[in-house]
Amino acid sequence: MGDTLQSLLGHINPYLLQIIVNIGIGIVLALGLNVITGLTGQLSLGHAAFMSIGAFTSALLTIKLGLPFSVNLLITGVVSAGVGALIGYPILRLTGDYLAICTLGFAEIVKVIFLNLEITNKAFGLSVPPPKSSIPLPIMVWVVVILAVVVVSFIHNSRFGRALKAIRGDEIAAEAMGINVARYKVQSFAIGTFLAGVGGGLYAHFISFINPSDFGFLKSIDILSMIVLGGLGSIPGSIIGAAVLSAAPEFLRFMANYRMLVYGGLLVFMMIFRPNGLMGGINFTEVFLKALGRKPHMKELKGKEELP
Amino acid sequence: MNFKKTTTLLLTGMLALSMTAGCKKKEEGAPAEAPKAAADTIKIGFLGALTGDVAMFGKPTLEGMKMAAEELNAAGGLLGKKIEIIEADDRGDKQEGASVTQKLISRDNVIAIVGDPTTGITKVAAPIAQKAQVVLLSAGATGPGVVENGDFIFRDTLLDSVAIPACIDFFAKDMGYKKVAVITSDNNDYSVGLSQTFLAAAKTKGIQIVADEKVKDGDKDFSAQLTNIKAKKPDVIFFSGYYTEAALIMKEARKQGLKANMFGGDGLYSPKLIELGGTAVEGAMSALGFSPEQATPVTAKFVEAFKKKFSGAEPGLFDAQGYDAIMLLADAMKRANSADPKVFKTALAQTKKFEGVSGTISMQANREPIKSPLALLEVKGGKFTLKAKVPVKID
Repeated sequence: MGDTLQSLLGHINPYLLQIIVNIGIGIVLALGLNVITGLTGQLSLGHAAFMSIGAFTSALLTIKLGLPFSVNLLITGVVSAGVGALIGYPILRLTGDYLAICTLGFAEIVKVIFLNLEITNKAFGLSVPPPKSSIPLPIMVWVVVILAVVVVSFIHNSRFGRALKAIRGDEIAAEAMGINVARYKVQSFAIGTFLAGVGGGLYAHFISFINPSDFGFLKSIDILSMIVLGGLGSIPGSIIGAAVLSAAPEFLRFMANYRMLVYGGLLVFMMIFRPNGLMGGINFTEVFLKALGRKPHMKELKGKEELP
Repeated sequence: MNFKKTTTLLLTGMLALSMTAGCKKKEEGAPAEAPKAAADTIKIGFLGALTGDVAMFGKPTLEGMKMAAEELNAAGGLLGKKIEIIEADDRGDKQEGASVTQKLISRDNVIAIVGDPTTGITKVAAPIAQKAQVVLLSAGATGPGVVENGDFIFRDTLLDSVAIPACIDFFAKDMGYKKVAVITSDNNDYSVGLSQTFLAAAKTKGIQIVADEKVKDGDKDFSAQLTNIKAKKPDVIFFSGYYTEAALIMKEARKQGLKANMFGGDGLYSPKLIELGGTAVEGAMSALGFSPEQATPVTAKFVEAFKKKFSGAEPGLFDAQGYDAIMLLADAMKRANSADPKVFKTALAQTKKFEGVSGTISMQANREPIKSPLALLEVKGGKFTLKAKVPVKID
């Protein structure tokens, strides 16, 4: 099967394929941060740190143990989520700016640790061999994207997701409603960091050379821009935000040296004219139920109440 | 599972599938749009940063490349065709470096890529170029793990592992230095690698390392490290990082009354070192593969042409390396009488005693270059001046 898929990819221009994989990795990372920041309302500026934990874990699993790629990604995600939960437990008691600064500090710590560890080759970085899998990497990336979209959609519409939205709305009110705020926050952080880790693993194998300095503050901000541009808390928003921001530097290439100027300008105008993001407040379920001619869930409930 | 959940699952699945399907269609249409390899020009790609933090390496490399291409084109071109340089900016970002490499290969159909001047992005680009069988010649990557990527990967830089032992020999014999304090910037891969090479070479040459201090790129205060170093009374301070930190370190050293001068690799070679350091960096030395002074006829011609083109500005190391990269490729293509990367890469690997503007270049069996001589520059009167040309043995 691997060969058939490989030959299928052979028809695609490698440059476009590269952009499409960049978009895919961006979506996985953005969805992860969307759970933490968009859904639960906890501002994290350290998402790239979890991406780097994932990237190095995944690279080392391939180099030292030669694990099959799917198992590798799963372990990578679990390791990142484990670190996320461990870190999340103390720092998620903080709110707002304090939490943001804490995650920022954590990201610096991770970078310095990787810069000094012998196993991650210090400041030299690691060369990552191709993944051990018969499925080509671009297809693997998009399989992960689809799984991530499905899982995060489920979370959005579950009891768990509504609890997270309640925490985003008002923590004290949520607690009064019987929601264990601390536990839910740590769980959402673990889910977000799981996706960050998996995204990092995909990135490491795709780029084939990683260095602790790649996952700095700016990378975290890049991911944050994706979800803010797309619309906080919206899954289609995260996807479109990640796609636009991952592809923009390439599509704007014809403007040569002015492209980063245009890129920045686009972001500013977006935030002025659509402060809630491109897809702010829009979600799959509502859009498709509407398209099918059905009323969205909440309105249905309202209608029932008014009936008697 | 209730109705709502089932619909959600189905719809997200469908949307995701339709999205990927949409992408596929777009991709499949693309190869037809891509321009066919133009037969009338020889296309050489430039990979490097023209904007961002490391643009100071990328811009001069491109300038040098363009100069070489203009000269060759004015003299009738190469194999009867004109050379066309296709430039692409990667902002010093790895992900963009990978995209740019793919773009140059699959969109622009280049036969060779020159770049990136930094080791990190070269390592990202090398597997891509190797797989696509396009020659990649890095004009600037000095770190390990570059040419190991395969037989299409080359570089034309003076390697630290060659330059440093030659330098230490010169210091020990001609300057009488015995005690050295080493400072490494440990979040900079270039610096960590250079220090490792230095420490290994110093061991075999009988130089005593009296201090081994760590700093970080971006640090502003170096008083603790220099207090330690001052107590050890070194003859010279070896700093393997970049010029910004170097200038600040020397300012602190002079403030503390430390007399020893600084010595480092090409990371120190920038007018900014003198701008930031002022009189404190007077006497600081930088070892690199190019100096416009005491020029060979080839270099003198290049320096003159460069000054004419850029209204009197002196060419730097990266200008020279970019120029040499194009000339090396042209030389290999001439000898192979072919612009097919699969053919001329063999000729490039057999380059022996090529008279480049940045020194005489020979390729070893492992495609690593050996260059001679090595230029040791010293800051004198607020200017980099040539202190000595240190010969490097070429087999």
